Amino acid sequence: MPEAIYLTAAALLSLVGMSWLALSMDVHWAQVKQIPLADSRPPRATLKALGYAALFVSLLVCLVADRPSIAALVWIMLLVGSAVAVAFALANRPGLLKVIWP
Amino acid sequence: MTWVHTWFGLVLGFVLMVCFFFGSLSVFDREIDRWAIPETRFDAQPMPSFDKVLLPALQQLEPDEVDYATNMPRLHDPAKGEMTPRTELPVDEYWAYVTHRDPVLAAGVGYGVPLAKNPEDHNHIHKNVTLDPRTGAVLPDDKLKIGSHWFYPMHYSLQLKWKNLGIWIVGLAALMMLAALVTGVIMHRKVFREFFTFRPWKRTQRASLDLHNLTGVVALPFHFFFAFTGLVIFASFYFLPVTSTLLDPLHKQHEIHEAAATGLPHDAAGVPGPMSSVDAMVEEAKRRWAARDMAGEVGFLVMHHVGDANSYVSIYRAGSDRVALVGEGIHFKTSTGEVLSEDPPRTPVSEVNEFLTGLHLQHFEHWFLRWLYVLGGLLGAVCIATGFIFFVEKRKSQHAKSGSNGSRVVDSLAVTTVTGMVMAAVGMLVVNRILPADLLGKADWEKAAFWTVWGLSFVHAYVRSAPVALGLFNPAWREQCWGVVVLSISAVLLNWATTGDHLIKTIFTDTYWPVAGVDLSLMACAMVSGWAALKLVRRERGVGAQSRKIEKQPKTDTSEVAHA
Repeated sequence: MPEAIYLTAAALLSLVGMSWLALSMDVHWAQVKQIPLADSRPPRATLKALGYAALFVSLLVCLVADRPSIAALVWIMLLVGSAVAVAFALANRPGLLKVIWP
Repeated sequence: MTWVHTWFGLVLGFVLMVCFFFGSLSVFDREIDRWAIPETRFDAQPMPSFDKVLLPALQQLEPDEVDYATNMPRLHDPAKGEMTPRTELPVDEYWAYVTHRDPVLAAGVGYGVPLAKNPEDHNHIHKNVTLDPRTGAVLPDDKLKIGSHWFYPMHYSLQLKWKNLGIWIVGLAALMMLAALVTGVIMHRKVFREFFTFRPWKRTQRASLDLHNLTGVVALPFHFFFAFTGLVIFASFYFLPVTSTLLDPLHKQHEIHEAAATGLPHDAAGVPGPMSSVDAMVEEAKRRWAARDMAGEVGFLVMHHVGDANSYVSIYRAGSDRVALVGEGIHFKTSTGEVLSEDPPRTPVSEVNEFLTGLHLQHFEHWFLRWLYVLGGLLGAVCIATGFIFFVEKRKSQHAKSGSNGSRVVDSLAVTTVTGMVMAAVGMLVVNRILPADLLGKADWEKAAFWTVWGLSFVHAYVRSAPVALGLFNPAWREQCWGVVVLSISAVLLNWATTGDHLIKTIFTDTYWPVAGVDLSLMACAMVSGWAALKLVRRERGVGAQSRKIEKQPKTDTSEVAHA
């Protein structure tokens, strides 16, 4: 059971990290905030730092949950899944990303 | 770069679709086996007692009739004397294999060939069986393990067995995929800027390119490693077959030297020898693994030179708890049970090889990672499928103007390898549930159904592809999506009707995840296909309305219709 909790936490951290990285881009910031691209001024450095930090913590949580060889694979595949999930959220429900940066 | 990416991607993309889709299904091949063979729906079992269960079961077996008829005349030297009758062949080898997902056990006997043409070779006539490890009962041979014996080999051999043609084609496709990944990244320079970009509201050509780039770039590590490790697994087949051809004498000599170094007898002594308890050897092997901080179960067990004084037993650990496929083999003298040798520590090259191989073959017990692998495989399939759609969308208006059939053919093949392939796989499961369990040659009927559905899907896709030649959508996409919906729901209902295992039972009242997982996946497949079909209806209507509008205008251009 603790392993399931760790893996869920790692997945959420990965998803949030990817969302912050997406928001650090002008085009996606504008998409989420529903403002013209020309007015898009995301707090880029903060979002990038938070995004990479969340992904790193996600790796640490994976390492707590499993032995390193398996944890590395889980983490890489979580990044893949999270990136696709964020891309689909941006395509269909961009407002969802406001949850992590109101 | 673009030329290489486009044309190699197109031609070998059809093969790669098969590899990715059936590779994804192979992640749960054992679970699909459980679904297809209801009498094996019980919990996974560890390796049973060799002395009490396996040995009595293996001793009852006889050499396979087909193997004997095919290979005995090839292996036997008539100049040395009469061919030994099938049932009198001496037993030379026993083996058994199980994974953490197997309720049933794969086992077999290798029978020696007296008066062989080349006595130095491994001359064996085989009998391979599936055993119920709880009782040692042999399961009937004609039940096709659809997951592990059909979908799984399909992804690396295309089931083209003639001269191993399928394996060579898949190898070429994997190699070209590595090239396509490199050229794709070079072509698509804005890798990170467009990392999350998918615009489904744009026209099909743009939206499909977005999805192609997204699934290709985001899952790049997965695509790269699976193509690469697939090649590594078959490296000796593709790149170094000389060990069994030109260098065969050296290879045999090396075997003898290795046997001398490890103390494992290369040849039988020709003197009968007793058999001590193999279960005691298993206990000793487990004790030694635990002492190395690698406590585990037995995955593979093999006894060589059965009944001979030189007989020995090799016991390998199941790789359920790690990525690398490390057997940690321990070898025992059959007559006394003493340890003859333990596999030496691995070299760095061997460590890397075992990690890469294990990464692809995924023997580990980690359900979350297995599902992430399915996601990676399906993203690969989406990447290739959207590549096909982009190819057609980009060219179909030009082809419509020039009267070329190129887009029509590519589109039909794309339909066949996307929806057609899913219909073939699910259709096979439907036929598995419709045909009586005791039907003679049921496996052959299931295979025939698979190829027939797939073949018909191509005929249907091509017959319905006339609109593509006019720069419009092929309605076969939508129609085959509905086909997938009907087949998927039918498979779930037929499973319920023929076995009583409905989803409420397999999830809640008598939980059995292998079958519940397959049923839930079929339902998810039906939902996604139904959603796609409805989207296609809307898009076709939009294009139809647009084209009617354009027809009313004086200067109509087919290319405009295509871009509408």
